[in-house]
Amino acid sequence: MKSEASKIPNAPPDNFTPAERTEREFGRLTSKEHLYVSQHISSEPLPEPIMDEPPYFILICTYLNYLILIIIGHIRDFFGQIFYPADFKALTGQNGLAPWYSGFESFYVRRLKMRLDDCFARPICGAPGRFIKCFERITDKVNVNGSYHYTGDVVECLNLSSYNYLGFAQSSGTCTDAALASVEQYGTSACGPREQIGTTSLHVECERVIAEFVGKPSALVFSMGFGTNANLFTSLVNSKCLVISDELNHASIRFGVRMSGASVKVFPHNDMEALEALLRAQISAGQPKSHRPWKKIIVAVEGLYSMEGNLCNLPKLVELREKYRFFLFVDEAHSIGALGPNGKGICDYFGVSPNKIDLLMGTVTKSFGATGGYVAADTAVIDRLRLDIATNVYGESIAPPVLAQIISSLNIIDGKVNPGEGTERLQRIAFNSRYLRLALKRLGFIVYGADDSPVIPVLLFLPAKMPAFSRMMYEHKIAVVVVGYPATPLTSGRVRLCVSAALTKEDLDRVIEAMSEVGDKLFLKFSSGIAGGAKKKGEAPRWALDDVLANTARDCTISMA
Amino acid sequence: MSTTTIVIPESLNNIHIYVLDLYRRFAGLPGASIVIGYIKASYKDDPLRSVFELALLLFAVKYFLSSKKQANKPTLAKLSEKEVDDLCQEWEPEPLAFPLGELEKWQLADIPVTQGSVGPHACVDARDVLNLASLDFLNFNSNAVIKAAAKQTIMKSGVGACGPPNFYGTQDYHVRAEEDLAEFLGAERAMVYGQDFNTNTSVLPSFVKRGDLCIVDSGVGVSTQNALKMSRCRVQWFNHNDMDHLEEILQELQPGLAEEKPITRRFIVSEGLFVNFGDYPDLHKLVELKEKYRYRLFLDESYSIGVLGKTGRGLPELFGIPRSSIEITTGSMALAFASSGGFCVGESDMIQHQRISSLAFVFSASLPPYCARVTSTALHLITNGDLTSEAESKIVASLNTKSESLSELFSSDRSLQPFVLVKSIPLSPVIHMRLSPKYREMLQLPPVYGGPQSAVAQAWSRGLEAEYFLDETYNLENFLLSKIVALCKSRDVLITRSKRILHHEVVSMVPELLVCVTDGVSVEELAIAFHVVKESILAVTQQVNNHTAFRRLEDEL
Repeated sequence: MKSEASKIPNAPPDNFTPAERTEREFGRLTSKEHLYVSQHISSEPLPEPIMDEPPYFILICTYLNYLILIIIGHIRDFFGQIFYPADFKALTGQNGLAPWYSGFESFYVRRLKMRLDDCFARPICGAPGRFIKCFERITDKVNVNGSYHYTGDVVECLNLSSYNYLGFAQSSGTCTDAALASVEQYGTSACGPREQIGTTSLHVECERVIAEFVGKPSALVFSMGFGTNANLFTSLVNSKCLVISDELNHASIRFGVRMSGASVKVFPHNDMEALEALLRAQISAGQPKSHRPWKKIIVAVEGLYSMEGNLCNLPKLVELREKYRFFLFVDEAHSIGALGPNGKGICDYFGVSPNKIDLLMGTVTKSFGATGGYVAADTAVIDRLRLDIATNVYGESIAPPVLAQIISSLNIIDGKVNPGEGTERLQRIAFNSRYLRLALKRLGFIVYGADDSPVIPVLLFLPAKMPAFSRMMYEHKIAVVVVGYPATPLTSGRVRLCVSAALTKEDLDRVIEAMSEVGDKLFLKFSSGIAGGAKKKGEAPRWALDDVLANTARDCTISMA
Repeated sequence: MSTTTIVIPESLNNIHIYVLDLYRRFAGLPGASIVIGYIKASYKDDPLRSVFELALLLFAVKYFLSSKKQANKPTLAKLSEKEVDDLCQEWEPEPLAFPLGELEKWQLADIPVTQGSVGPHACVDARDVLNLASLDFLNFNSNAVIKAAAKQTIMKSGVGACGPPNFYGTQDYHVRAEEDLAEFLGAERAMVYGQDFNTNTSVLPSFVKRGDLCIVDSGVGVSTQNALKMSRCRVQWFNHNDMDHLEEILQELQPGLAEEKPITRRFIVSEGLFVNFGDYPDLHKLVELKEKYRYRLFLDESYSIGVLGKTGRGLPELFGIPRSSIEITTGSMALAFASSGGFCVGESDMIQHQRISSLAFVFSASLPPYCARVTSTALHLITNGDLTSEAESKIVASLNTKSESLSELFSSDRSLQPFVLVKSIPLSPVIHMRLSPKYREMLQLPPVYGGPQSAVAQAWSRGLEAEYFLDETYNLENFLLSKIVALCKSRDVLITRSKRILHHEVVSMVPELLVCVTDGVSVEELAIAFHVVKESILAVTQQVNNHTAFRRLEDEL
């Protein structure tokens, strides 16, 4: 049990008026020019991810950086075990019990991740909208068990970390009113699994609204996005079926496929030629050993990859689906709401009919300010899933306030409620994404991902730059997320900026200024220009900050080159 | 070199020149002179021998490479592009989801839809009913304090948390809920998960890996079964709640395990109040055995926390055992606490490890903040504001009295005994009733469905969807139970039945009627409900009293 001092304090009261609070959760649009329609222009080539390579010097430094960290880590382990055995309790067997986890397995966490532990899981208070309030916390030593003392103060930071694409993380407004009303009418829980008791009229309504929104006949809604994928595949495939998965697919998809016992083949990220070759080989050869044909083949991809900001090549996938008759599963966790002229995700963005995709899965966490996941498909498929999916039968049902949030936010996006508000949100996220991305490219950062992606990963490479970047930005009162191994390859640590419609262009200017300063200090501007942003073709982009701020807002609505 | 003469045929002259040229180039490389010197010295100026050995070396390299290729080659003949095209054309996949058959469609209509709140008195399918199907044991879903707390939180933090816990998705409410859970349960630390069903599947595999060992009660629910599947550990099943069988297995394994180095992680896995039976294990014996044989104990307390013990602290409180004797406890916040999500409590190191290695925690958005707040509020309501209080919780005591009284009514009723058997213990708020073995025999029903080596298990491993999705007898027995449920509902009492899916489970099962007691229902209402349920059971079982009548039910589908 914790001592009183290390317990989280009450959030200090802010003295904002309701109007000021609303503004701090969702900034008012400052100019009509800062809008853009997110849509794939059919004359442009299909998205091919361009991964700019860092100079060799950076790569060598990254490896050296790891080497030093590992050597020091081992030295500390060696002496630590002698002088502070209490800190190593979890690694050594205790009276006949095996350790909780092996020292080797936890080395990365103890010796590398713990050094930047303060950059993760900063507790916040209030809605994670345009600004978030982070609790100040301190720790006495390089802590082994992640315990902190809170000072009681909060720091209000500009928020580029939350999944709040359309800015629905608000504590007032239409959606909040709907959620509050649902608490009054339905309570806080649905009181049991969907099949037994936990289906209210609100659930039925929400599933209808989601199905209509994504353009499929039927849908199912669940209380957790991860849980949706984790339990979906067992009801669809078995060991005689094949799932072909993009190598960068989310952990939940891999979890779900593993649970189902289906065979898995992986193709290189977004490589459509490799996918086609794999399909041809698998369909013609059939199952291993028995060579019977596969009972079914599902190709699983994501609409927008959350760590790279890349889009899947949907037009090509649909073409392949027609030709090879596999089932196409698209995880729209990040793309639904965030892409397309109507916010309807990757299909909307590319102008592809949702009928061409067999399973549209998505989460309502990222764009709609709710929590949970959905699956939309043909009625015959959903009927089976409704009766068979494990979370529906054994797990909790999604709670009424969350459903109210989903229904009301989808209605706003569709223009059924507060006409015009949905369109503004959609066009603001599209503009903000392009503006920030192009500005960072022009400054010389290596930025991954598609032009219209609201996920903007900026590459840091060196593990030591991750905490440095996060802390320096925190000093500028900007909250960012740094990601390293295991969510990314070991050598490509990055900062992932999540753009929101709640941010104004002026907020982004603040980010660009801070990033430029930190980028100079940390030597992060080393792009070659192949991914765009160069003043002249073939030149490395190194624009001056003033030039970037003066020109980018106009340029980004025209071209991202 | 000077004494040996090699006659080179004219045709090979070019090669000779080429080799000499190569030799000169090689000699030009830095350090080459040492290598050449070494070769010359070791082979005593015998170039033929050097050439021969080089040839041997090349052959060996080729042999190894080619043999590897051979193993990778498919046994099928190599296909031309055209043939592959034809095969792709020919391939006919099965439908994405196995379509619902005519015999199964009734199950869709069998899902009750509530208009408005799922309270003790609810409007279900346009009918006002007494709700004995809800798992909101302490009636917190209708509680004004809980509602006020939820609303206040939504007005401060919005609905969603908008991020994974490690990336600014942790709010003060989450941290406080974790602190409160740990304090209430007397554990070092706690952590909350986004969904109860995915808690076990993520907690257990963070510690139990391939090669580790779990001894598992064969009555555990699907979430624990899935956790074992995902961890890929060795699993030994012991008969449900059979401590002698458990000890037998532990004893049998002991000699082999004693020699293992390093020692593997070993767990005994059980539940606080079994979701499938409504009973609990002998915790004294479990703790004694795990201490004796050096195992850790994993206990899923989803149904027991907030229900068992005089302050609702779960099974250990009932047995007077400290929480620290149970290494990993998981639970649900969606049941007794009327919130959402799951949680895990235990010692600090164990919890801390999960924060980085548990999949459903790391790769999923955090719980909505209002859910965390509801949990904290529920804990304060249970303990009357003092989380460490030892005083009896009024609300838990009231629930226990009601559960016991209804259970007593069912199990002591003589007219029901030939037809149904109460499986749950009196304290369980969910009363599990299955058709009695005698009656089931009369209808010629199998003793159990599913389980290892059953037809369903075999169909699953052979990928035969038609067989594992639909077991006709199981479907029909469920339909028989649903007739009882429907009859109750027509008389304004809503009960439910177990809706377990055969192919998801690795253990065997018998379908059950479930009557769920919540604190919102009064003792008088329970007595009325008892009569309704009893009469419905008698009406249906008397109507279907032999094998032919049972089979005739199929016509109604």
